[in-house]
Amino acid sequence: MFKAKRRTVAVVAAVAVVLLAGALAVTLTTGSGAQAGVSYLNGNPAQRVYAAGDRPVAPDFTGTSLTGAPIKLASYQGKIVVLNFWGSWCPPCRAEAPTLAVLSEQYAAKGVDFIGDDVADTSASALAFTRSVGISYPSVNDPGYLIVQDFSQVVPVNDTPTTIVIDRTGHIAGMVLGTVSYATMVTLLKDAAVTQ
Amino acid sequence: MTDVRSSRSTSAPQQETADGTGEATGPFGPNEMDVTESGGGGTSVPPDTSAGWLRWGWRQLTSMRTALILLFLLALGAIPGSILPQQGTDPASVQQYYASHPSLAPWLNRLGLFNVFATPWFAAIYLLLFASLIGCVVPRTFRLVGAARTPPPRAPRNLKRLPHSTTYDSALPPAAAAESAAALLGAHRFRLRRPAADDSGHWVSAEKGYVREVGNLLFHLSLVGILISIALGGLFGYKADKLLVQGTSFGDTVSALDEFHPGRLATASDLAPFRMTLDNFSASYVTSGQNEGEPSSFKASVTYSDTPGGPARQGVIEVNHPLSVDSVKVYLIGHGYAPVFKVTGPGGKVAYEQATPFIPASTGTLLSDGVVKAPNANLGFMGVFVPTAIDNGGTLESIFPAADNPVVSLDAYSGNLGMNSGVSQSVYQLDSTGMTKIGGSPHVMLPGQTWTLPGGKGSITFVGVQQWVSLAITYDPGQVPALVCGILALCGLLLSFFVRRRRVFVRAVPAASGAGSVVTIGGLTRTDASGGFEEEFAELAFEIASAGTSVTASPGDAAPGAASPGAAETAAVAAGDDKPEPNNQSETGA
Repeated sequence: MFKAKRRTVAVVAAVAVVLLAGALAVTLTTGSGAQAGVSYLNGNPAQRVYAAGDRPVAPDFTGTSLTGAPIKLASYQGKIVVLNFWGSWCPPCRAEAPTLAVLSEQYAAKGVDFIGDDVADTSASALAFTRSVGISYPSVNDPGYLIVQDFSQVVPVNDTPTTIVIDRTGHIAGMVLGTVSYATMVTLLKDAAVTQ
Repeated sequence: MTDVRSSRSTSAPQQETADGTGEATGPFGPNEMDVTESGGGGTSVPPDTSAGWLRWGWRQLTSMRTALILLFLLALGAIPGSILPQQGTDPASVQQYYASHPSLAPWLNRLGLFNVFATPWFAAIYLLLFASLIGCVVPRTFRLVGAARTPPPRAPRNLKRLPHSTTYDSALPPAAAAESAAALLGAHRFRLRRPAADDSGHWVSAEKGYVREVGNLLFHLSLVGILISIALGGLFGYKADKLLVQGTSFGDTVSALDEFHPGRLATASDLAPFRMTLDNFSASYVTSGQNEGEPSSFKASVTYSDTPGGPARQGVIEVNHPLSVDSVKVYLIGHGYAPVFKVTGPGGKVAYEQATPFIPASTGTLLSDGVVKAPNANLGFMGVFVPTAIDNGGTLESIFPAADNPVVSLDAYSGNLGMNSGVSQSVYQLDSTGMTKIGGSPHVMLPGQTWTLPGGKGSITFVGVQQWVSLAITYDPGQVPALVCGILALCGLLLSFFVRRRRVFVRAVPAASGAGSVVTIGGLTRTDASGGFEEEFAELAFEIASAGTSVTASPGDAAPGAASPGAAETAAVAAGDDKPEPNNQSETGA
């Protein structure tokens, strides 16, 4: 009987060890690190604001638009640029497109230009969509995600859609991972206007 | 110098030494570990103090038995990961499983069976296994170092009781006879031990085969090395998949990848920033004989650069011949067809034009399924691509995997595809709820043909066929270290199997006649699985005897008649006042 009790205790101890190891595993699997100069809008890590002075330089790119015109980021120097990574195959991109179309018209007079970066797509499919939503700003034809790759070296562009706000000096002021909302974009654009 | 032996060495008869210190020299002590021996795992009863509990728990955890049980559990735990669809690799199949097993699936999910390799219980098993192996191997390493450095024990008093022994009469006095034996054994690269200054006996202890311990040590250290390598790979490595259509390129970044599985400490920013273009893909198949239709070669020709803007290089990826780009390996893991479609909407405007990857449903004939979604024309198509089509009594069949007679068969749907709602959907599946099937039965098309849909809904053109490849991009920093450690572990294991520790003892006592001496040689080995010690011993004994004096060796194990077991002992006691050796203790490395 004494032996049986010992066995029970041993089993309980073994289970406890397994649970402890499990807890350790859980803490190892979940971990987050904050970055200097980066703050989250509304505590949402998908909406990042880069403080003036800590803004990474936006990598310059040259490309061809869906209609065949050349596009160069550097030529937008002195303006605030909203760069939207999207594809006509991507439902969240299609969902946020009307918001971007409205914003691009409202901010056109305030020195804000919009550029799309159309990934994993063809001009024909993409243009059919932009025309249907009434997007008038140009998009770079980037089927191989090459511009995305350049940007992912400085900011976490980990999914499509992603929207990046570049300030007048060519630095990244903020970004939204996933679908944008009108309010978020207004805040980010206001923030990007401040450059130190 | 005293040899400390634990009471565990009970495998051979204990023997008293001449000086009566009770030193056990017969058996090999506990230091000589077998690699298969359990690592200090006791079957002891749990103690009562908390420190005792901890020690008991640690001993249980680090026992070989526990390690084996954990290894078995690890294998057992991996089974659901291979028979159930996994969220990480195939989320679509998980959804399908939910749909077909609505009551069972939530329970399986609660147990984490759809994401086995990320569950806490699975992590618990491998962490415990890791702790168990480390806890077993590290202390053993220290013990093995000790074993490799231990000098041979003192010569037992009665060498005739050893498994191998022989006696000869020498004309030399005992001291000189022992000296000549020591010189000979030293020349044979035995590690020697001679009597201490206060020891009046004339004996030599010699041991050889320390390489066995080195091998053992190598094996254990390599085992730790393998574990560390695997951990390195698991923490810092990653695995990704990318489907690439012929003629297109991609930049290695997370959003471009179809799948990305980083290690615990790897992130998206660790991806090697290479760029790659699939210039050409060629697959060839056996065209005749029994294996007709089986693949004979796959070859993907690519142009790549290690970094954006870096120099462009040419490369070829074949099955089992990955391309090394920067620090990653790019494997060719699959291929298929991407028929090119052009869809126009009701007004005749192009709404969709691109190569559309279809997924093989049959690996033998590459009959493939796919969908075309043209939301701007409110049209969707479900299709089957047939590489080499024949009409088998009204039904289409593929008889060969090459695109020799490509045909698509399409079902058309009209209506809202739901792609503007923002909810993500698979590009390989068409949700036709809320859509209307139009055009009746499946429409069969050849390349170049256009199907004008009824009711002015638009049209679809089957423009042509492209091929795609599926690439696996893997980074495993532990791969090379694991291979090196594996080879070293094997070498260590072989050394410890084929080299054996063997001891030779020589003891010389004055002859009863007064002139010369009687020399007894004893030999011992722990395991003689590979055999050969008997011959080695006989040869050594002959050499020792030849070097000592004219030989009258009496071979055989405790051969009857030569000298009674007690005689040597008496002689040793009688020779108590012999003068000490000039160099009474010497050691040579083995």
